[in-house]
Amino acid sequence: MSETVNVRYMVSDVQQAVDWYVGHFGFEPQLNAAPAFASVEKGPLRLLLSGRGSSAGRPMPDGRQPEPGGWTRFQVIVDDIAAEVARLKGEGVKFRNEVLKGPGGSQILAEDPSGNLVEIFQPAPFPVG
Amino acid sequence: MRALLAAAAVALLAVAPAAHSQGAYGVGSPDVRVRYIVDDVPAAVAFYSSHLGFKLDVPATPFFAALSRGGVQLLLSPVKGPGGASQPLPDGRRPQPGGWLRLVLATPDLESEVDRLRKAGVSFRNEIIGGLGGKQILLDDPSGNPVELFQPG
Repeated sequence: MSETVNVRYMVSDVQQAVDWYVGHFGFEPQLNAAPAFASVEKGPLRLLLSGRGSSAGRPMPDGRQPEPGGWTRFQVIVDDIAAEVARLKGEGVKFRNEVLKGPGGSQILAEDPSGNLVEIFQPAPFPVG
Repeated sequence: MRALLAAAAVALLAVAPAAHSQGAYGVGSPDVRVRYIVDDVPAAVAFYSSHLGFKLDVPATPFFAALSRGGVQLLLSPVKGPGGASQPLPDGRRPQPGGWLRLVLATPDLESEVDRLRKAGVSFRNEIIGGLGGKQILLDDPSGNPVELFQPG
């Protein structure tokens, strides 16, 4: 019913990334061509995990090399962010910051083993944006 | 009057869980949400609306916008502002655009899509490359965030 949405993350170790997303966030393994590439799915989200040996890992014509990191991320929406953070910290997941409250809700940034972000988000009951 | 207020309060309480479970920002039920950090929210809204077919879900502000296309909602947050995503880290680092993580937008005809976007002045990081699952190319939004256009097959 839902349209699959692809999001690509560059990772330094494809198998490690698969294990992390499956183990901590309940993704289902899909394709696995580690060490170059793998994909995992959760609901309509298909996360493409690309290593340096994949086509997406090739350098740009100007020599720039794709790499993990930055601030772009997908969201995991939860009902109880404190409980989710406690669970993930108990599993050894690292966070880049503490829980922050904005007009739309509360969020915190988890870091995968390559340093990519996952945003855990609890919407405010009556968001204003 | 008191009864009316009480009824209104009950109605709000009844609505709250549903609104909550459906997520925020005025859309029924966004399937997937991706957040990009941008230098200029209105410029980013113009870019994603005019070039890539995204539609605003709620009126944009300088500090936040939410746009949808297909099953994805794109959240745009500026490098500074009141929103949670615009706050600096405890160590002082600030959110910034860029990097290589990206939303992948499928297109049935990559060549003509790239041609259309180049004519509209959109810049690309690379040329079309072939991979195992299809062809792809990376364009840059006005803040330098990549978006991947992908043609399966």
